[in-house]
Amino acid sequence: MTNWFFVAFLLLISLWYLSFLATRLDRLHHRVETSWANLDVLLQKRASVALEIAHSDIADPASSLLLTGAAYQARDADIESRSSAESGLSGALGLLLEDSAHLATAADNALLTELSALTDKIRVAIAIHTGAVTRTQMVRGKFIVRIFRLAGTAPLPVTYEFESDVL
Amino acid sequence: MLNRSLKIGIVCPYSWDTPGGVQNHIRDLAEFLIAAGHEVSVLAPALDEEKLPDYVVNAGKPISIPYNGAVARILFGPVAFSRVRQWISQGDFDLLHLHEPAIPSISLLACWAADGPMVGTFHAAAKRQKIIFAIGPILEPAIEKLSARIAVSEAARLTLTDHLDTDAIVIPNGIYASRYHDGVAQEKWQGNTIGFIGRFEEPRKGLSVLLEALPVIARFAPDVRVIVAGPGDPSEVEKGIDPQLRHRFEFLGKISEQDKANFMSSVSIYVAPNTGGESFGIILAEALAGGACVVASDIPAFDDLLGHGEFGALFQSEDPTDLAKVIIDLLRDDKKRFELAKAGRSRGQSFDWEIIAQQIFSVYEMSIVGSEKVKLASDTRSWNRFLSKDDK
Repeated sequence: MTNWFFVAFLLLISLWYLSFLATRLDRLHHRVETSWANLDVLLQKRASVALEIAHSDIADPASSLLLTGAAYQARDADIESRSSAESGLSGALGLLLEDSAHLATAADNALLTELSALTDKIRVAIAIHTGAVTRTQMVRGKFIVRIFRLAGTAPLPVTYEFESDVL
Repeated sequence: MLNRSLKIGIVCPYSWDTPGGVQNHIRDLAEFLIAAGHEVSVLAPALDEEKLPDYVVNAGKPISIPYNGAVARILFGPVAFSRVRQWISQGDFDLLHLHEPAIPSISLLACWAADGPMVGTFHAAAKRQKIIFAIGPILEPAIEKLSARIAVSEAARLTLTDHLDTDAIVIPNGIYASRYHDGVAQEKWQGNTIGFIGRFEEPRKGLSVLLEALPVIARFAPDVRVIVAGPGDPSEVEKGIDPQLRHRFEFLGKISEQDKANFMSSVSIYVAPNTGGESFGIILAEALAGGACVVASDIPAFDDLLGHGEFGALFQSEDPTDLAKVIIDLLRDDKKRFELAKAGRSRGQSFDWEIIAQQIFSVYEMSIVGSEKVKLASDTRSWNRFLSKDDK
């Protein structure tokens, strides 16, 4: 009798643990998706700000051309080339800001402030996203998670290689 | 910046009525956010309910436990847990900001109890502690619920990655830099003076290192004076001072914020000989902003804050000879001292609350995107939903 009771107790505990793991995983998957969506929006925004800067007086014709190219590339890139396209845009913006920050007029300055605020946010968004991705990968690597298929049909998130020095 | 105002719940693990870096940080941050038009509620343990500002909610009486080389007044247990749950369910928060959620405290309880956007700030920098390995598996799922983690320094970030295998964004502590920038130099503290502020009785503040270095300094700079400010009983310390040098010491006791700013603007050198246990070094940031030439021990937090010597001079920690050498060097070379102080002043400005609070707010914004409000975790669990439907 006690034996049966013990078995039932163990079963209950393991059921609770499985549901606990599933909840945990569900939360992580949700965060991976929302953080990516958020990051995507921010990167798109950065591309449009970059285009505006390219059309303003901040950029000389040569860097304007460079920036426009990089911005369009970042906008239209598919998922595989996205990472390198965004890094390219970071590089182009970095080059421009390095030597032209001091000759910007007040109107252009608003653009530059917007860009720097955006860059701060992107940095945070990247940290949140990569944190969620590595966490999810770790939990999904657990033996119990794999054997009970707790992840369901959700695709395994991939680490997105961002240059750590976004501007 | 978000246009709508947010409802933010901040949890302070340590007793609100004991002075401390974390409490000061939370107070300044809360007041800054309130001034920016947000609704803030701080949950903190407290001994005396009457003295609490109106944005602080009392979580109960704290107990004292030894932690990280000092006594921490914190709170946990079932009664505290139900208080935390009550605060969360009534608060209707957009976001929770938990401070030091990795130690057993109401911050950790809140992390357990809540579901939704949460940000955690890690303040402590400590060497690897064995206890974490024992409770790590319990801690990790809780810490994982934080959508973003902030560390106040590189040292605090390393502590976090060492113990819990998760990364954090580094956002330093804030100071009211303008207050220090406007400090007025006082003649009584000027000359060949060395300043020190802090609870000098605590060994880790390192006043004894300065005491040992003083005989050598006094030989090369005969008119040198040491001015010590901060709470404590100086008689014990005075006993340890060479009688011939005793008149070079001046103990001011606890000084006001305004005096602190003036102090930093007056002294020739501000010295921080701390031997460890320091995660950020807020007093150094204040000294820099006040325009003092800073000399500090080369513990990781200070090394980081002073840009490896770019914004202030470093000496080998716990080595009085090296400290004496660095100080004598600077007292003799006015130009070098002024240049260091000038570089330090602009560094100090970068810790201004205007900048720091904006960075913290960016993290808030990024954490709440796409999420709902903070709820009790128990409300979102499937079996509880099932049960509560039965009740109806």
